[in-house]
Amino acid sequence: MAKIDFNFRKKLNAMIGGELHSYCFQCGACVGDCPAARYSPRFNPRRIMLQAILGQADPLLAEDSVIWECTNCYNCYERCPQDVRPVEVIMALKNMTHKARTNPQQVNDMVKAVQETGRTVVLTSVVDRRRGEMGLEKMGDVPMDEIRKLMQTRFH
Amino acid sequence: MNLRYIPFFGCMISAKYPQFEAAVRKTLPRLGIELVDVEGFSCCPDPIYFKSSDKLTWLTLAARNLCLAEEAGLDLVTMCSGCTATLSETRHLLTGDPKLKARVNRRLQRIGRTFRGTIRVRHIVTVIRDDLGIDKVAQSVTRPLEGMRVAIHYGCHLLKPSRVMSVDDPDRPTILEDLVAAIGAEPVSHQERVLCCGKACMDEEMPAQMTYDVLASVEKLNVDCMGLICPTCFDEYDLGQLKLARKFGKRFDIPIIYYFQLLALAQGFNPEDMGLHWHKIKAPKLIEKLGAVAG
Repeated sequence: MAKIDFNFRKKLNAMIGGELHSYCFQCGACVGDCPAARYSPRFNPRRIMLQAILGQADPLLAEDSVIWECTNCYNCYERCPQDVRPVEVIMALKNMTHKARTNPQQVNDMVKAVQETGRTVVLTSVVDRRRGEMGLEKMGDVPMDEIRKLMQTRFH
Repeated sequence: MNLRYIPFFGCMISAKYPQFEAAVRKTLPRLGIELVDVEGFSCCPDPIYFKSSDKLTWLTLAARNLCLAEEAGLDLVTMCSGCTATLSETRHLLTGDPKLKARVNRRLQRIGRTFRGTIRVRHIVTVIRDDLGIDKVAQSVTRPLEGMRVAIHYGCHLLKPSRVMSVDDPDRPTILEDLVAAIGAEPVSHQERVLCCGKACMDEEMPAQMTYDVLASVEKLNVDCMGLICPTCFDEYDLGQLKLARKFGKRFDIPIIYYFQLLALAQGFNPEDMGLHWHKIKAPKLIEKLGAVAG
């Protein structure tokens, strides 16, 4: 019989949206329309919610965690009769992997891009030229002092 | 009605697909919609990867963008489904949760800003439908795209979560069909019309399979192009077709066109002025047909 890790659940509950997992009664409404479940035999949002309820940190926060297969389509959010918003619980779990440094590199790359440029897409000279050809103005500057101040988790 | 809005184009459209920005900026004045630009926006930030790192930072940067619009005192209008997702959800969460709003505002104090929730976030298609009226789109058309069959693809974040986005019924949406019909083209429904494009799934194989299935479902219908509204879906289906050709040896050759490019064509703009030649999948047949319509 599975032993519930309440300590893990407490940490999950402290994440924004993480507490919603507590309302899951395992009906499976989230599974039928889930594209990730359709395309991956190992992805099942109901099972991910169960693992969250049981507090199974290991599979959920591991580097090869199935949570990264979520397509972020929000069908489960639409379907859930309990307003669990499984996609948001999965997002809260992803936030936990960021703290545990087990998240995929792409996430770090995106954070770094915003930290350095305020944007997630780097403007190439080709696109800059195209903007000019189309009569568009140059892209404006992002006030990076503001962005950096807001991105610091500890601020003095 | 005073149709003035602050545009939020986001990173994908501004820095990768400027032809979409140009199409919006050229077609809206002909509908009587005025865009009032505001300086200093950052990335929305991205609702998939950036949000995966830390929701509070994600909400704070999004709230900063909302603050800039609040200071200018007009509603924000978004053109990218991802930006819409981030900005709409942030507004929804912060206006509905005073504690969360206080947490975000504590961070915003560092730069002397406060989120108040005084302006709305609107996707451009809802502005056209609800503030303007779709009949006005039809009235702006000088070259109806008669005989052009357009497969519609909605993408996820325009519609869901529906109570946050408030755009259309997420299971039986009609807004894009109505907009395509308004420019004289024939909207074509396909079997996988509400399937996710797969771009936000961080797996090697799954997104390719999903893209393949959507394009295969469109291929059967003998359409002139796929019309959509999301730059991320565009990426997945346009550039994605080259990837699928390498991976599966299958060439679909279905042109993918952003709705406002189609509207521009119907308003008489030339295909090259709308950057169609920059798309990976070229549209010679569609352009030929357009010539026939014009002639």
